[in-house]
Amino acid sequence: MRLERLLVLPVLFCLACKPPTPAERMDSMLSWLATARMTGEAWLRQTTPDTYSRQTLELSGEKIGQVATDLLKSPPSGVDAAALDALFTRSRVRVETMARLIAAKNAPDFGRQLDSLGADEKLVKRLVDSIEHKQ
Amino acid sequence: MKKILQITLGIVTSVGGFLEIGSVTTAAQAGAAFGYQLLWAILLGTLCLIFLVEMSGRLSAVSKHTIVEAMRERFGFPFFFIVLVGMVLVAFLVLIAELGGIGFSLQLLTGIGFPWWAVPVSLLVWLLMWKGTFGLIENGASLLGLVTISFVVAAIRLHPDWSGVAAGLLPAMPQSDKAHYGFIAVSIMGASISPYLMYFYSSGAIEDKWDETYVGVNRFIAGFGMTFGGFLSMAVLVAAALALQPRGIQVDDFHQSALLMTTALPRWGFYLFAISMLFACFGAALEVSLAIAYFFAQGFGWNWGEDLEPSKDARFSFVYTIIILLAAVPLLFGIDPVKVTIMSMALTAATLPLAIIPFLFLLNDPIYMGKHRNGWLSNSVVAIIIVVSFVLAVISIPLQIIGG
Amino acid sequence: MDLVRDVMDKKLVDRKDCEMGRVDGLVMHVGPSSQPRVTHILVGGTTPWMRLGPVFSRISARLARLWGPKRTEPVRIPWSRVKTVGKDIKLDVMAREAGALDWEIWISRHIIERIPGGGTEEEE
Repeated sequence: MRLERLLVLPVLFCLACKPPTPAERMDSMLSWLATARMTGEAWLRQTTPDTYSRQTLELSGEKIGQVATDLLKSPPSGVDAAALDALFTRSRVRVETMARLIAAKNAPDFGRQLDSLGADEKLVKRLVDSIEHKQ
Repeated sequence: MKKILQITLGIVTSVGGFLEIGSVTTAAQAGAAFGYQLLWAILLGTLCLIFLVEMSGRLSAVSKHTIVEAMRERFGFPFFFIVLVGMVLVAFLVLIAELGGIGFSLQLLTGIGFPWWAVPVSLLVWLLMWKGTFGLIENGASLLGLVTISFVVAAIRLHPDWSGVAAGLLPAMPQSDKAHYGFIAVSIMGASISPYLMYFYSSGAIEDKWDETYVGVNRFIAGFGMTFGGFLSMAVLVAAALALQPRGIQVDDFHQSALLMTTALPRWGFYLFAISMLFACFGAALEVSLAIAYFFAQGFGWNWGEDLEPSKDARFSFVYTIIILLAAVPLLFGIDPVKVTIMSMALTAATLPLAIIPFLFLLNDPIYMGKHRNGWLSNSVVAIIIVVSFVLAVISIPLQIIGG
Repeated sequence: MDLVRDVMDKKLVDRKDCEMGRVDGLVMHVGPSSQPRVTHILVGGTTPWMRLGPVFSRISARLARLWGPKRTEPVRIPWSRVKTVGKDIKLDVMAREAGALDWEIWISRHIIERIPGGGTEEEE
């Protein structure tokens, strides 16, 4: 009985990954925006090395893109999908720009992008709060 | 006095158990998602482990047989073989994850992607087992593992709300996200109460030539060692609760956990995290490889011992050589070690009863234990752990599906 | 003596306390008039696998013919060679001569010793 159970587990595990809800996707979006910002702050303070910071920003940009695509397939109710798309695209491009600025070691421009990213993040956060409020 | 120095066995066991990539990832996820609320899961895991590890050591010291040897002798070949399959499957997954964890740490430090490290890292782990003695591995991994104390330093520097921490040590249901909470709780338990730890400790006691005079100090070593590991695991959770949760960062990827100590320790935090994970995963990789080789050798009656030259325990050496080689392969193809570790934790939870039930019989057997049989307290705790392990075994799969 | 409890699956050690495997099976002689008695201890081969089922026994025999010392038969040790039965079973044989270390020696010579640092399995 035990042996059979062991075989069943990996199969179940593969089937297991139930798709996230729109709310969970929004949380994931916020998580990656926050990751990009925390990494950016750490790099400016010279707390983290260049390679790690650049790789993490590139990863964040990738993830933001992925989550945005999934979200826009079934967006949360009561939200203007086009505006959401614009916001997410802007954030993703910004994060990718920041990664390139690390490679160029351009701290001043990086700092400006970081501030704008903070503003983007606040916008997304306000959106999430308003959705939760409506529900 | 010399006996107290054997504390290194306790430390290396718990570092390999509590601070390997699975435990650190789950502790960080727990802190980032639920703040202090899941501290009780780590506490529970630690308490269970203290009892189980103490019993493993006592069995070895008194009977001069390891758990595996005693299990084969008392339960027979078929039972032994079933446990072998289950245990080796899980331990192999853990080994893949640990080698990946070492690769991740090196990626953090050098920027070179972890698949590139799969071969050099496996080679190094293998070389240490091939040429090294048990004492070298035990003491080396313990000493290097002490760098993980930086997690405690970071947690304290973030000024935790101690009353919140205390409240987290008591189980409570969260307001929302119950399935995810349950899943992480089960993962923490599965990551903490790993059977390979007990097999390793039991074999280590024989490698260190313990006898009946070690029964008392074994209690101290098991208690202190596991508490050390559990405490460090809690520090990771607290650090995540303070550094990541307020920013809304979930720990879905290793890159995010690397940010854990960057605010608490600006100059060194990042590097201390990478180096801590490097040494902890290294110790864990050695421990798991040895545990698998011990399991085969002891169960089948082969010659075994880390202090022996490889040709003098050829089958034992052959087993660990093969598994380390095989474990490197998935990593070369870029498999995510964190996903592997999550699978291993669910499997551990599902096969736990099989590993723990023998304890109840072996630790009460007068032929093996003499006058050092379990008292009512130890027996009660084992019985409770068996019940808990059955519960975990039953709910781990549904939770994986709903909350994973 | 309770055979299952005291003998089966116990570790065997030879004259020099060298480990030589475990009691995987027993050969009993059942005569028409006498009590059944143990005549041999069986070590290795397909014996332990038979306890799981005939399928496992066939698979292990097939694998054993492909590589290694190419022996599928278990080592048979006469019961008369048993010196003491305790936590381990002490035998009045030498492990090598009994053939109990055939696999160990084969793996040592063909694999382990070929790797640098492996040493040699010959006794000093």
